[in-house]
Amino acid sequence: MFEATNELGNLALQTGGTLTDPNAAAALAVGLAALGAGYAERGIGSAAVGAMAEDDDLFVNGLILTVLPETIVILALVVVFIV
Amino acid sequence: MSAAGSPNPEYVVARVRARRGSLFGDEEYRKLTRMGPAEIARFMEESTYGEEVNALGSRHGGVDLIEYALNRNLAEQFDAILDWSEGSLYDLIARYLRKFDAWNVKTVIRGVYTDAEQSAVEVDLIRAGEFGDRRIRRLLEADSIDGVIEVLEDTIYGEPLREAYAEFEETDVLVPLENAVDRAFYERLLSGLGGDEPTRQYESFLKAEVDFRNATNALRLARSGADIDPAAYFIEGGDLFTRSSLARLAQNLDELVEYIGDSQYGEELGPALRELEEADSLIAFEHAIDAALLAYGDRLGTIHPVSVTPVISYILAKERETENIRAIARGKEAGLSPDEIESELVIT
Repeated sequence: MFEATNELGNLALQTGGTLTDPNAAAALAVGLAALGAGYAERGIGSAAVGAMAEDDDLFVNGLILTVLPETIVILALVVVFIV
Repeated sequence: MSAAGSPNPEYVVARVRARRGSLFGDEEYRKLTRMGPAEIARFMEESTYGEEVNALGSRHGGVDLIEYALNRNLAEQFDAILDWSEGSLYDLIARYLRKFDAWNVKTVIRGVYTDAEQSAVEVDLIRAGEFGDRRIRRLLEADSIDGVIEVLEDTIYGEPLREAYAEFEETDVLVPLENAVDRAFYERLLSGLGGDEPTRQYESFLKAEVDFRNATNALRLARSGADIDPAAYFIEGGDLFTRSSLARLAQNLDELVEYIGDSQYGEELGPALRELEEADSLIAFEHAIDAALLAYGDRLGTIHPVSVTPVISYILAKERETENIRAIARGKEAGLSPDEIESELVIT
């Protein structure tokens, strides 16, 4: 199993695969973080819209809570500047 | 509003939780028990029931107005919940709300049997189940029990009703038909439930309800001493009784009380069971069962916050609220004192 992984790593290094390119890896990190944030916002957003439908005053609270997971993407963007 | 798509518990739970906050509390009930029927109607007009009270106010009055407004509000709230939910969530909620379909079918059959006016039957219906307006209209227009069964042919009630119809024709009593409807409902209730944890919690709640229903039926039979086969009233699916154990226990009240006391529900129902032994009052026991079920529902709603269980918990609480208001209004009409009425309420 481990040998196979090593082989794969060597192969990737030799051929200069895209994943070993730091820029590509950073891009992937940001993309995955955005995906996670999107998934989190899906649940929070639908709950927030439900709460707003019952009580309009919850609009501000709902909006803030809905975009909170967005911070993950901003933190992930730091990676782009480090590499 | 369909079983297609992925479940959306977040949305439904958020809305339901907001509505739960506007249910009546102890304070409101205390106020209501000191009001007359007209004042109760006015009080309701200023609460979540306002729209229904206004819509029905010109045609009905007094306790009838309260009763019909409660029914209509219940139907609208539950229809809305079904409207919001999608996917497997819809299926789980619809399972429970189909009990209003069963209620409607029974009401229509009773109406046909007693030759009641169509409008009189109509106001007693609770349109919270899955039946659409079209089917309900056709049900109301049916002028014989055979006609009612024909309208229901393509639903889960069609076949059992058809089978029970022969027995009805022979004996001319409604019991076989009503049993057929109940059994069709309960069979569907527990069949093919999914396997995740909240669903299992929901299932155990439904089983508790079936157990309690069986227990009350058995107690009533045991007390009345009537010569009816208890097995005929048995509802499948519960954990507490089997068909034969229920038949045996219904013969003897003391054994039955002891059996329920030793079961997993013994702790919750214990005080009520002792009261039953001493005062011989079934009413207290039935209230204890309702309260236990409601407490169970409340607990259910907090274990898995984003699942079907808080929705069911709200449905139970809402149902209980309308029943409490109805009890207050009817009690006032009958001239009971506030203390007597308060003992009739089920509040957790």
